[in-house]
Amino acid sequence: MRQSCSLLCLNTTMAVVWARLAFLAGIISLFHAGYSAAQHRAYMRITEQEYTSLPTDIGVQGLMSLLLTMYGILHIAGDFKEIRANVQLQNKSWETVGNRPTFYTFAHRGRALSPNYIPPKSKSLLDNIENISS
Amino acid sequence: MASLDLDWEEVREQLRAWREDNTRHSEEVIDMWEYCLKHYKHKLGDERWMVEEQVVVAGLDSYRLDIAEHSLVALNEQFPGSLRVRKLKGMRLEALERFDEAMDVYDSIIRQDETNSTARKRKVAVLRGQGRIADAIKELTEYLKIFMSDGEAWQELCDLYLKEGDYSKAAFCMEELILTNPHNHLYYTRYAEIKYTQRRDPKGGLDNMEIARSYFCQAAKLNPGNVRALYGLFLSCTQVSSSTKCSAQKKKETQQLATWALKEIADRYSKCRTNAMDGSKILETFGSLSITEKA
Repeated sequence: MRQSCSLLCLNTTMAVVWARLAFLAGIISLFHAGYSAAQHRAYMRITEQEYTSLPTDIGVQGLMSLLLTMYGILHIAGDFKEIRANVQLQNKSWETVGNRPTFYTFAHRGRALSPNYIPPKSKSLLDNIENISS
Repeated sequence: MASLDLDWEEVREQLRAWREDNTRHSEEVIDMWEYCLKHYKHKLGDERWMVEEQVVVAGLDSYRLDIAEHSLVALNEQFPGSLRVRKLKGMRLEALERFDEAMDVYDSIIRQDETNSTARKRKVAVLRGQGRIADAIKELTEYLKIFMSDGEAWQELCDLYLKEGDYSKAAFCMEELILTNPHNHLYYTRYAEIKYTQRRDPKGGLDNMEIARSYFCQAAKLNPGNVRALYGLFLSCTQVSSSTKCSAQKKKETQQLATWALKEIADRYSKCRTNAMDGSKILETFGSLSITEKA
C-alpha cells in the first residue's frame, strides 16, 4: 500500500514536470516569435520595403507557442471547481456545515475519555442517606 | 488508530484538508501529531504554526492538556505578544474551567484591538460553557449588532435559542442564514424542522406545517440525496392532509406528495440494500410513522 502510494506520487510529479516543461517551452517560443517579428519589422525598415503583414512562419510559431503555454498552465493550475454551488454540498452533512470552530466549548462529556481526566469528587450516596436519617 | 509508518506528507495533507474543511476530529489530530508529525515538525516549514494551533485546539477539546500546553509554549516563543496566541491562552483557561480569568484575557484583547471579532465570540463561548445561556444570547446579540454578516454567529444564536426553546427567534436566525446561502439544502432542512416543531403554536399551527412542507420540498429539490428532507416531507404532508382545516383538493395534492416522498425513500434504501436488510419491511413501518400526543 505504501509502495503503491509512493508510485502514485511519482506519477503525478512526472505529469507536473511535463506540464512545467511545456509551459516554459511555450513561453520561450512566444518570446522568440515576438523577437523575430520585431527583427523582421526592423529589417523591412532598413531595406525600405513595404510592411504588409507578418511572415506566416512567425505567426504560426506564435500561435503554437500560445497553445503550448495554455496547455502547460491548465495542468499546473489543477482541476476546475464545479460552477453549481449546491453540488459541493451534496455529500456534506450538518456535522461539517454546522460546525462552528470559533465557538468551541470544552466543557463536554468527551473530556472523560481522556487518560488525564480526574472525575470531580462528589459526596457518596451513603453520606446523603445518613444526613437524612439523622 | 494511527499507525507508526504513515507517510508524514500524507498526514500533513490530511491535517490541511481538515483545517480547510472545518471539521472536528480532535482525537485523530492528537493521535496523528503524537505518533507521526511531532517528529517531523521541523520539515513543515511555514505550515508548522498553523498545525500547532490546530493541535492546541484539538488537545483542549480532548482534554490532553499536556500536548496542548507544549504546543502553546512553542507558539508563544515564536510569536510573543500575538493576540491570536493570547486567545489560545484564554481557551486553555476555559478548558481548565477558570472562566473568570478567561473572560479577563478576552477583555484585554478587546481593549487592545476593538475590531477583534474572535475574542468577542470566545466570550459568548465562555458564557455557554458556564451554562448561562440567557447571558450568552444577550452577548451574542450585542456582537451581531456590530458584525451583522457573520454566518457562524447566526448559526450559534439559532442553536442557543433552540436550547432555550424559543422557536420563533431560532426560525428568524435560520432565515438570516438562508438569505446569505440560498443554495444550501441543510439550512432549508433545519428551518423546516424548526417550523415543524412550531406546529403547536396557537397562532398559526397549520401555517407553520405548510411552510415546513414547502421548505422540505425545496431542500429535496436542491439535493435529492437528502433523506432527512424526504422524511420530513412525508411527515409534514401527512400532518397537513390529516388536519381538519384542510380543503379536499389540497388534501389530495398533499397525499400525492406524501406518496412520492415515500417512493423516493424506498428507492434510496433499495439502492444500498444488503441481504440482511429487507426493503419491503420499510414500507410497512412507514404506516406506523406518525406523531402522537404521548411522548
